[in-house]
Amino acid sequence: MNKRILIVDDSFYMRTMLKNMLTDAGYEVVGEAANGAQAVEMAASTSPDLITLDVILPDNTGLDVLKSLRQIQPTAKVVMCSAVGQEVIVTEAIENGALAYIVKPFSEEKVLEIVGAALQNDASEQAA
Amino acid sequence: MKTRDQEYRELFMAEALEYYDSMSRHLSELERNPDAGPALNELFRLMHNLKANARAMGFTDLGEVAHHLETLFGLIRDQERTFSGSLIKVVFAGVDALGNMIRAVGAGQPLPDATVLLDNLDLLVRGEEPILEETEEVETEEESGKKMELSDLVYIQVKKLDNLLNLVGELVIDRDRIMTLAQEIGNPALLATAQHLFRISDDLQYSVMDARLVGVGVLLNKFPRVVRDVASAESKEVELTLSGQDVQIDRNILQIITDALLHLVRNAVSHGLETTAQRSAAGKSAVGHLTLSALTERDDVLIQVRDDGRGIDTEAVRRKAVERGLTTASAAANLDEQAVWAFLFEPGFSMASKITDISGRGVGLDVVKLALDSLGGQLRVESQLGVGTTFTLVLPTSIAVKGALLIEVDERPYAIPLMHTDTVLALQPDKISVVGGVLVTHVQGQAVPLIPLRMLLHDEGDEMLPFADKADMTGAQQVLVVNYNNRRLGLLVDRFIRQQNIVIKPLSKPLDTIDLFGGVTLLGSGQVCLVLDVPALTRLFLTKRP
Repeated sequence: MNKRILIVDDSFYMRTMLKNMLTDAGYEVVGEAANGAQAVEMAASTSPDLITLDVILPDNTGLDVLKSLRQIQPTAKVVMCSAVGQEVIVTEAIENGALAYIVKPFSEEKVLEIVGAALQNDASEQAA
Repeated sequence: MKTRDQEYRELFMAEALEYYDSMSRHLSELERNPDAGPALNELFRLMHNLKANARAMGFTDLGEVAHHLETLFGLIRDQERTFSGSLIKVVFAGVDALGNMIRAVGAGQPLPDATVLLDNLDLLVRGEEPILEETEEVETEEESGKKMELSDLVYIQVKKLDNLLNLVGELVIDRDRIMTLAQEIGNPALLATAQHLFRISDDLQYSVMDARLVGVGVLLNKFPRVVRDVASAESKEVELTLSGQDVQIDRNILQIITDALLHLVRNAVSHGLETTAQRSAAGKSAVGHLTLSALTERDDVLIQVRDDGRGIDTEAVRRKAVERGLTTASAAANLDEQAVWAFLFEPGFSMASKITDISGRGVGLDVVKLALDSLGGQLRVESQLGVGTTFTLVLPTSIAVKGALLIEVDERPYAIPLMHTDTVLALQPDKISVVGGVLVTHVQGQAVPLIPLRMLLHDEGDEMLPFADKADMTGAQQVLVVNYNNRRLGLLVDRFIRQQNIVIKPLSKPLDTIDLFGGVTLLGSGQVCLVLDVPALTRLFLTKRP
């Protein structure tokens, strides 16, 4: 079965690029959330295998969203997604259970490599 | 043809212009109230997004200005700088520069130079005074004279378009009723208005359907990657040709057939096309050819998946169908190619267990049939052993919305397409007579046979319908007069519910053999409602009347 992915990013352009890259590679994108509230709601309703999470979101920071996501979907793997300049938050995110960090602008190869590796990693299940 | 790069560019532009407008709005707010936290957070976020998107598109300078402004807004947010004095001037100049750069991207022009601005932003980030030139002041004064520009693109959720289409459907039903009323009343002014309403709502319906159309290319352009992956996994060489990407189709239809198309393409590469060695042995070119094309045929859109592979081994499918108990050996022997190939689309039918020599088509192809059935589309198969196979999906351009009358019998709702309904009557028993074992009434001087719909629905076997009896009839009888082939038939029902737009979905197995039902629809409440097939009801009545 195809792995199911939820994309969280407030830019439509970014979501579209990520979605194209992931669906082209055979993943199923089960939802696209543009803010934290949507992300939490969609994660609960779609139970994705992996979530790509933008660090800066309109309603709250990606870090708050990460904490909520870890609570409602402890088995979902989370990969942070951010442009350079937000390394501090990203480090904190990794400490809070995010598995990896995709730096914008990203190449297709890089995204697929990181997502593939994160899906292989079952550390988050053990942590849960 | 719209390539993915063009699509990205349009998305980038639309979003960048939106960001720019929001930035200007938040800046004005910040100017009025320098401590406005939410405005600062938003400016920071918008700069961050613009930076990331611009860099992804390769607009380095634009990304650089946004990056500097992001850093600066971060500092202001963390109260290391205040939004005052020369900083305000540089920030405004910065946002103006962003606007100019975005417009330059949109016009396909080189981006304006931003060296001075970047230097000043650098100074501010380091906590030093920027170097302002006199001319900059003049430039900002000209601001009010500049043209305002809004994006020509609006992004809209499909859900909203669905809603619009449903509303138009209802409007069309009311329009038709007004048209009928106007004709009955015969007032010329009313008739003229009704006719105008007719044309306008027709245009409206067409416009809404048009707004939902997308190029088939948005789906087809995903396939080079799929083909490459499957081909490399199978160690085959495949050349994919796409055509007809700009053929227009309803977005939801495209969504529904996505999986079906994916299936057909994967199947074509892994089962249809031979390995390089097999192809060479058969005297074919080493590279397999796969063509994905879209074309318009009358009101339909055709999507074809064509390969020059081994073709379908009809005899192998015939044997397999008998093995699977789908047909008897004697019946199978008489089936033509098309009828045999139809077995490939039976649920669970697979040729995969018989690998090697036999064309291993059929893995999960029922998915394809299901998707097409749900749309009222068709599947055509052409194949020649050793030469190749073509699957053609015949799709409606737009999702069909039909008007129907909902009625109730034994507490179940049924829908009858308005196309076949004639009149609705409430008849007292004294208006109904029994003639030759059949209930009859007169409508506009013409004798119309009546039958309780319940009786047709419950009919089984070859026996004739029982002789009619009106002894137990009490009170007004609800009659729906339907019309098929100029033959009228009155159906006695328990109750009329309402008129409604419905999207008819064909029945799935095993119900699809019951020809009284033309399909099924979902009511607003989520309740499943069978759609009655008036021609079939009429035929049943005619063959079984006493």
